[in-house]
Amino acid sequence: MSYSSMETNLDQQFDPNRMSTYEEEFKWLKWVPLILEIIILTWGMINLSSATAVEDKSAGLWKNQMITICIGTIGTLFLMIPHYSFLSRLAYMIYLGNLGLLLAVLAVGKSSLGAKRWIGFGGFSLQPSELMKISTVIFLAKYFENKSTTSGLKFKDLLMPTIFVMIPLVLILVQPDLGTAMIIMLVYGSILLFLKISPKVLVGLTIIAALALPVVYNYGLKPYQRQRITTFIDPMSDPKGAGYNSIQSMIAVGSGQMFGKGWKKGTQAHLNFLPEHHTDFIFSVFSEEWGFVWCSILLLLYLLFIMSGLSVAYRSNDKFATLLAFGITSIFFWHVFVNMGMVMGMLPIVGVPLPFLSYGGSALLTAMSGVAILVNIANKKYMF
Amino acid sequence: MSFIGNEEQIRFLQDRFKFIYGILFIGVGVLLSRLFFLQMINGDQMRQYSEENRIKRVKIPAPRGMIFDREGRLLIDNRPAFYVNITPQYLKESGKPKEVIGQLSKVIKIPVDDIEKKLNKVKGQASFMPVLIKDNLTRDEVAALETWKINMPGVQVEMGISRMNTERDVGSNLYGYIGKISQNEIPGLNASIGQNSSRKYQLDDSVGKSGLEKQFEEHLRGIDGSELVEVDALGRSIQITKNKGRVLAQNEEEPSVPGKNLILSIDQDLQMAALRGFGEKQGGLIAIDPRNGEVLAMVSRPSFDPADLSRGVDADIWAKLISDENHPLRDKTIQDHFSPGSTFKTITAIAALEEGVITKDTTFNCGGSIMLGNRKVHCWKKEGHGTVNVVSALTHSCDVFFYRVAQKLKSVDDIAKYAMHLGMGRRTGIEVGREVPGLIPTEAWKKQRFNTEWSPGETLYVAIGQSFVLTTTIQLANAYASLVNGGTLYKPMIVKSVQNEDSKTIKESIPQVLDRTNLKKETIDLVTEGLWGVVNAPGGTANWMHKPGLEFAGKTGTVQVFTQKAEKIYQKCENLRFKQRHHGVFVGYAPIKNPSIVVAVYAEHACSGSHGAAPIAKEVIETYLRKYYPDVYNDKALAEARKKPGIIQFKASGGD
Repeated sequence: MSYSSMETNLDQQFDPNRMSTYEEEFKWLKWVPLILEIIILTWGMINLSSATAVEDKSAGLWKNQMITICIGTIGTLFLMIPHYSFLSRLAYMIYLGNLGLLLAVLAVGKSSLGAKRWIGFGGFSLQPSELMKISTVIFLAKYFENKSTTSGLKFKDLLMPTIFVMIPLVLILVQPDLGTAMIIMLVYGSILLFLKISPKVLVGLTIIAALALPVVYNYGLKPYQRQRITTFIDPMSDPKGAGYNSIQSMIAVGSGQMFGKGWKKGTQAHLNFLPEHHTDFIFSVFSEEWGFVWCSILLLLYLLFIMSGLSVAYRSNDKFATLLAFGITSIFFWHVFVNMGMVMGMLPIVGVPLPFLSYGGSALLTAMSGVAILVNIANKKYMF
Repeated sequence: MSFIGNEEQIRFLQDRFKFIYGILFIGVGVLLSRLFFLQMINGDQMRQYSEENRIKRVKIPAPRGMIFDREGRLLIDNRPAFYVNITPQYLKESGKPKEVIGQLSKVIKIPVDDIEKKLNKVKGQASFMPVLIKDNLTRDEVAALETWKINMPGVQVEMGISRMNTERDVGSNLYGYIGKISQNEIPGLNASIGQNSSRKYQLDDSVGKSGLEKQFEEHLRGIDGSELVEVDALGRSIQITKNKGRVLAQNEEEPSVPGKNLILSIDQDLQMAALRGFGEKQGGLIAIDPRNGEVLAMVSRPSFDPADLSRGVDADIWAKLISDENHPLRDKTIQDHFSPGSTFKTITAIAALEEGVITKDTTFNCGGSIMLGNRKVHCWKKEGHGTVNVVSALTHSCDVFFYRVAQKLKSVDDIAKYAMHLGMGRRTGIEVGREVPGLIPTEAWKKQRFNTEWSPGETLYVAIGQSFVLTTTIQLANAYASLVNGGTLYKPMIVKSVQNEDSKTIKESIPQVLDRTNLKKETIDLVTEGLWGVVNAPGGTANWMHKPGLEFAGKTGTVQVFTQKAEKIYQKCENLRFKQRHHGVFVGYAPIKNPSIVVAVYAEHACSGSHGAAPIAKEVIETYLRKYYPDVYNDKALAEARKKPGIIQFKASGGD
C-alpha cells in the first residue's frame, strides 16, 4: 500500500493486465469531494448567472464570482500539494493570524449594510470571519489531537477550548455577523459531540443553555435581530416589513412547484421581490426556477458531498486529520442546513450563505479551501 | 490499515460515525420534507401568491363622450394629461426616500418641502395609495421622469384623461366639470346604474360634478377596460421600464368603450359673442329660440377652466374658486335669482291688458311720484314722465304708470297668474341641474309664508318687479320667448341629440311645451310695440343703442342691490362700491317680426340695464342676425338704412 499520487494511479489505470484490488477499484473515491464541488459549483454558477441578471446591485456580479473561482482553483492546487500535517504544525499560528485579521476588521474594516465585516486589500475585500470557521476547526483538531475523549469530556476539559472559541466568536458578534458566529458555535458543538461529552455535562449544558436563552434574547441581541426571531415565529405579524423577506422567500421556493419556472424565468427574483437574491437567498432563486425535482437532486448532491467528507474523516488514520475533516464537513452541513432552513422559513433569517451557490468571495474561498484540505487528507493518508 | 497516533481513539471516533450519520440524515430529511411541503403540497398556493405579486390589473380609462355645438364644433374634448405620483410604501421600501424626493424635486421643479408636505398630508391613508405630486406635466418633464425612473422607486408617471374646454372658460358653467368621485357619492351612483357590474363606480373613477357633465353622466361616461401588466417589487411596471407592453393574456384584456357624445343646441359663435359682450363684466346670458325653446347661448361670467378641476383638484385652485366672491362656479343663468326690476313691467302690462283694467287708450300722468297712503313712492325719473300710455310706459319704463295699474288690478294674484303662465316662479326644467325656482308672490303665498295678509301697497312694488319677485335669467328669456311666440312656453332645450362614437344618433330631443297662454293679439301688439320703442324710439331706455337697419326690441331693468334711501337712489351708481352697485338686466329679441332669438342678460353690478346689460345682448343679437339672416342684415343693407332719415313715429304722447 504505497501508491499515493495521481501519477501512479493513472499509470495503473492504463495497464490492462493489472488485477485491480478493492482499494484500487475505488481510488476515485478520494476525489469525490472535489468532483462534487465542481458539479455543484458549475450548477451554482448557472444559477448565479440567472440571479445576477436582475437590474439591481447584483447585476454583473457573476464575473466577480468567476474571478474568485480562478483564485480558489489556484489556492486548491496549493493546498493539495503539501502534506496536510503542515496545518497541524501551523494550527496555532493560523488561529492567531486569523484573530489578528478579525481585530483589523474592527480597526480598519469596511462597512456595508450596517455591519463591519470586511477589510480591503487593494481592489479586493476579505471577510476574515469566513476564514475563521476553518481556522477554528484547525485549532480544535490540533487541540484535541492528543487528548483522549473516550470517557467523555468533562467541564474542565471544555474550559480552555471554549475560551479559545469564544475569543473569535465575540469579535465576530460585534461586527455583527450573527450567522457566522452561529456556524462556529454549531461546528464547535458538533466536534464536541463527535468527541463525546459525558452525559452529566451534556445535561448540565442543556440546562445552562435553557437558562441563558432568554437573557441572550433580551440583552445580547440587537433589536433587528430580535425582530427576525419574532417574525420567524409569526411572519404575518408584519408581512410588508420584517416578515417580508421570509414570506417572499417561501413564496419563491413554493412557486417553483415540481419542475420550476425555468432558468432566468423566476419572477420573484427577477422582479426584485426576493431580497439578497444573489447571496443568502440564492436557494430561493434556485428552487423557484428549477422546482422540486431538481432541488431534491441538489440536496442529494449536498448529502453525497457531506457523506464524502465524513468518509474522508472516517478513513483517515490520523486523529488530527479525522477531526479536521469532520470539522470541515460539519461546516458544510450547517451551512446547508441553516441556509436552506432559513430560506424555507424554518429558521430565523441569519446571514449564512449556501456553499458554492451563494455569491461571495470569502465564503467561496473558504469552501474551496475546505474541499482542498479534505482531498489532501484523502490522498495523503498513506504517505508516511 | 495503519494508524497514526492512538489507534484506540481512532477506533472510538469511527464508532461515533453512526451517531453522526443519524444526525445528517435527519437534517437532510427535514430539509427535503420542507421542500416537498412548500413545492409539492403548497406549490399551487405559492405559485398563485407569486403571480399576485407580479401581475397587476391596470385600468384602461375609457374616453368620455365629447360635447359639440349645434354645428358640430368641438366644445369639450378629452386630452391626455400626464401626472406624477408617489406611492409612500414603495418610497419607503426603496430605502432612500430623501434621495428619491430630491431627484424628483429637481426634475419637476417643485421644492422638496412641498413634496414632503403633500406626502405628510396623507399620512393617515393606506401607504400603497399613490399621492398626486404634480399634474399636467410638460412633455419635457415626462421625458426627464422616464429617464430617471430607475433611480426613483416609488415615483410613477401616469396618464389620465383631462377635460378640455376648447375655449378655456367660455360656457364652463353649462358644461360643468368632472372630478374624482368621493366615497359618499359611490353608493348613490351605483344604485342609479342598476345591476350592470362593468359600469360600477370605483374610488378612483371620475364623475361629472356639475352642469351637463353631471346631468348627462350616464351618457358621457364610457366603460373602462383593463389589462394585465407585470410589475416589479417597487411597483414599476415592466411595460414602462422595458419600453414594450407585456400584456399577459390576450383574453384577459377588456377593451374600453367610449362614452356618448352630446350635440348641443348651443351656437359657439353666439357664445363667443356673449364673451365679447361681457368683457370684464359679470353675470349670465341666455339666448333662446322662441320657436322651439332651443338654447342658443348660455354663458356665465366669471367662469372656470374645467381642465383645472378634472384631474384631482389642486388645493390652491379649489380654494380660490370656492372663496371667490364673484362665484365663478355658479351658473348665473339658472342658479342666481334676483328681482327682475323693470323687465317685469312687461308681465304687469300683459296682466293689466288681459284682465281688461287698461286698454291701449288708458293714460296716466306721471309726476315723478305718487302717494301711497302717507308715503311717497317715486318714479325712477325724479321729474316724471308726463302723460303715458302702456306703450310709452314700457318704452320709458315709467314706474308711476305701473303703480297706477297695480292699484287698478284686483289683486297681486292677477299679475302672478300671468307670470306663472309665462314660466316664472318655477323651474324651467332645463337639463343642466341645480336650477333655482325664483319666486312669484301671491296672497296665499304671503299668508303661508309670513302669516300676514297681503297689503295692497305691496302690489305696487310687485308691478315694477321689486318686492318679493325673484326670477332667473332663463325665466326672463323664456317668458319673453313665450310672449313673442304668441303664448307658448317651451321647456328650454340644451341637448339636441346624443350620438355614439360613429355619429349615430341614439337619442334626439323634441321641443316640449310646458304651458300655453292665449294672449290677445292686441296685448301682444301693444307690449311688443312698447318693447320696440325701448331700443328704437327716441327716449326709449335703450335708445342710445339704436342702430338703423339692425332692429331689435327689448326691455331694460335696473335692480338695486340694497334698499337705499331716496337720495342715494339717485346717486351716481359708478361712485358706489362694486358690490353695492345696481344690477343691470336686459331682455331683448330679434327680428322684430317673427322673432327667432330672445336674449336675456343679467349683468351683476353693471349699474343699469341700458348701459350695463343691453350692449351684451346687442352683441349676441347682432352676431345672430348677421349669421342667420345674411340677406337682410349685411353691411350693405345697414349702410343703406343709415342713409334714410329715421322716421320713428311714436303713437302715444310720452314724456322724454
